[in-house]
Amino acid sequence: MTTDARTPNPHAALDDPSVLIEDVVRESIVEAVPIGRTERQAEFYTLRDGEMLLNMGPQHPSTHGVLRVVLKIDGERVVDIDPVIGYLHRGVEKLCENADYHQAICYTDPLEYVSSLFCEWAPVMAFEKLLDVEVPRRAEYIRVLSTELNRVASHALTMGWFALDLGGLTPVLYSFIERDEIMEMLTALTGQKLLFNYMRIGGVNGDLNHEFMSRLGDWMSRAARHIESNQGLLNENEILVRRARGLGILDPETALRMAVTGPNLRASGVPFDVRRAHPYSVFPELDFDIPTRQEGDCLARYLLRIDEIKQSLRIIDRCLHQLPDGPVMARLPRLVRPRPGRAFAAVEGPRGMYAAYVISDGTDQPFRMRIHDPSFVHLQLVGLMTPGNLVADTMAIMASLDPVMGGVDK
Amino acid sequence: MSVVGASWQRMSLTGRILAIAVPILVAVAVLGLLGVVLAGPIVAAFLGDNVPLVRFAAAVGGILVLTIPTAFIVIYMELKVIARMNLRIGPDRVGPFGTAMSVVHGLKFVGKEDFTPTGVDVQVFTMAPVVVFLATVMTMVVIPFAPGLFGLDLNIGVLYLFAISGLTVVGLLMGGWASFNKYSLLGGLRAAAQMVSYEIPLTLSVVGVVLLAGTMSLNQIVLGQSGSFVDWYIWKQPLAFLIFFIAGTAEANRSPFDFSEADQEIVAGFATEYSGMRFGFFFFAEYVNVFVMSALIVTFFVGGWTAPIAWPWPVDLSAVDPLGLGVGLLLLIAIGPVVGTIVCAVPFWLASRFSTLQALVLGFVVFNVLAILAVMGWAFISFDWVVGLAWFFAKTYAFIFVFVWMRGSFPRVRIDQLMGLAWKWLLPAALLNIFVTASAVLILNR
Repeated sequence: MTTDARTPNPHAALDDPSVLIEDVVRESIVEAVPIGRTERQAEFYTLRDGEMLLNMGPQHPSTHGVLRVVLKIDGERVVDIDPVIGYLHRGVEKLCENADYHQAICYTDPLEYVSSLFCEWAPVMAFEKLLDVEVPRRAEYIRVLSTELNRVASHALTMGWFALDLGGLTPVLYSFIERDEIMEMLTALTGQKLLFNYMRIGGVNGDLNHEFMSRLGDWMSRAARHIESNQGLLNENEILVRRARGLGILDPETALRMAVTGPNLRASGVPFDVRRAHPYSVFPELDFDIPTRQEGDCLARYLLRIDEIKQSLRIIDRCLHQLPDGPVMARLPRLVRPRPGRAFAAVEGPRGMYAAYVISDGTDQPFRMRIHDPSFVHLQLVGLMTPGNLVADTMAIMASLDPVMGGVDK
Repeated sequence: MSVVGASWQRMSLTGRILAIAVPILVAVAVLGLLGVVLAGPIVAAFLGDNVPLVRFAAAVGGILVLTIPTAFIVIYMELKVIARMNLRIGPDRVGPFGTAMSVVHGLKFVGKEDFTPTGVDVQVFTMAPVVVFLATVMTMVVIPFAPGLFGLDLNIGVLYLFAISGLTVVGLLMGGWASFNKYSLLGGLRAAAQMVSYEIPLTLSVVGVVLLAGTMSLNQIVLGQSGSFVDWYIWKQPLAFLIFFIAGTAEANRSPFDFSEADQEIVAGFATEYSGMRFGFFFFAEYVNVFVMSALIVTFFVGGWTAPIAWPWPVDLSAVDPLGLGVGLLLLIAIGPVVGTIVCAVPFWLASRFSTLQALVLGFVVFNVLAILAVMGWAFISFDWVVGLAWFFAKTYAFIFVFVWMRGSFPRVRIDQLMGLAWKWLLPAALLNIFVTASAVLILNR
């Protein structure tokens, strides 16, 4: 290897036999401690006696994507925590401003890739409000049907990951049974896997087809029993229950103050659900309950998702019974130009309130589009709930809050 | 010089290797012969005077060789059983039913780069896997596999066992400390805390067995359980069995107590910075440890190599004297395989899916399998150590299956729960067990 004299080799010290390797390493450690830019960072990165910084992520087996968490630990106990986000930032909101209203839908799709139908629904609903479009009732029912299926798939996966983060290998693969079934179903309906791109302004892309209906009927006949038996593997497991009970308690006041929504809020005893509190689509016509739990701990958040799956199955059942005939798309021009104005639309996603706020300036492209993602809100709670617990509990708390990094970083 | 150089240039690669290797081999052989001639009597006298040393060296060599297939079988079992529990198929490509998969794992370790990161304490980093592996392997020396088949019959076998297996902690701590990595450090410290805590109930639970058997020799403990399954110590010491099983799981770093390598928390624990065969040693040690723990449970509580019911074996087959047949034996050897092959081929031929040649080949294979089974059956009923070995491995692998099963179905417990379990429940229970057992032994022996 030739060394250019003008550009000094940064590793020259390592090659120099007269320099002790320990000295080089010690120097590099001193340099590696970041100097705090803000007051909070300065406080966080100042170590007291016996404390140690432990970096988890962005590549770590349990950070649900590319989250980086810096733990300040004293032995096994977490003293402080600093989540670092931004590793998956794609600038989706800006991209949407440079696409017309139809194209923007496929940019919002991969935000929360575990439940992408909800990511389409909120912007689509906002666009419809801007354009003042009447969506056919059959399309609304199909939207509810497909999104509730997506909710079941998402919750099934969440419960599997929760068990995996607590060290159980098997439950995640059992949870994939339901998810695979639903994914194949939705693939038959939408033509795409994972990122469905199914919602359209004024309706949905296609009507229910035979393959979807036959798969759905097949699955519905055994879904409740199947989910029940799979969850017996975990709910009756002493180790899991002992670890999750009383861990990471979120009281209702804090939850409301931190703008928590979705299952995480309902597990703390606040019966807030966008589907009932601010009804949209055909949810007023459907019969279902809002399950809540009072404990607010990891176990409650986990069990609440099972309750929600049961309610989702009920909604799907009602949808199939009440499904009206008719078109699935409103009549709209190819190029839509809404009047200048603003619109806000929120849906109840599997992780919480998923909302879109759109400003139109009268052109065929949104002037500004803002997306509210529940994962981003819930990630703040990690810093609130983790200190004082053990390193292993950090993973359990994070898994029970269930952030998806695609939605956090946008 | 030029002649040698020219010859060297003209030689092929094989020729060059041979040109180097043959003189070295000749020199080694000559020196070896000289050594045997000159120093042979002295060495022979030394060995003759130190038979236990020779036996120890032979036993350790044998055990070292034995660990490799043991680890392969346990790894394969884990891959396959957990895959089945996870609704997967598991390895099925390499070898019949994927059985060669763990061999491929081993070869992969050998083929990988032996990487030493910057900043590690090189000597300690290098020694750590060796310490862990040897500490695990050396425990196998005293395990009685079958009547007459064991490394050493120490009269302090139980003591030796716990003394040596305690060394594993040192190795894990070395690996964790020397790796210059926070995950490794946490993993090493977790392993040390866990193993030191669980060593105590593990050792104390065996005291009851030692009291009952009246000896610390593992052979004598097994012989004390001979008879049928009602004589096993598991019935007399159920609490000790439970404690030993739980503490053994923790001692072997198995799920649900696998903190030191909890991948959701600290990536791979003490093994994070290790690669290649160094990691391979950790990996092997882990699975050999599972085998050792199962073997110890079997030895202490489930009767070791003794059969669960009073078998009439070994059967004395010396009354059957094949040599008495004379020329008939020769004819049998000549004709037997041919006739056997043809007889075994007939069903395939009649099935008419196969051509005559295919049927004959299949018949030959089937005949060979049958012959091997017959020979094994003959060995099984003729030699008591074959019977003992079969029972020992059957019981041991049954317990290994339980360990794998637990890994497939349990989440991990938390470190404070783990420590609480050891100090608040297992230790008092073990002490209670000793007290009750000692009282019973005192009262009944009076």
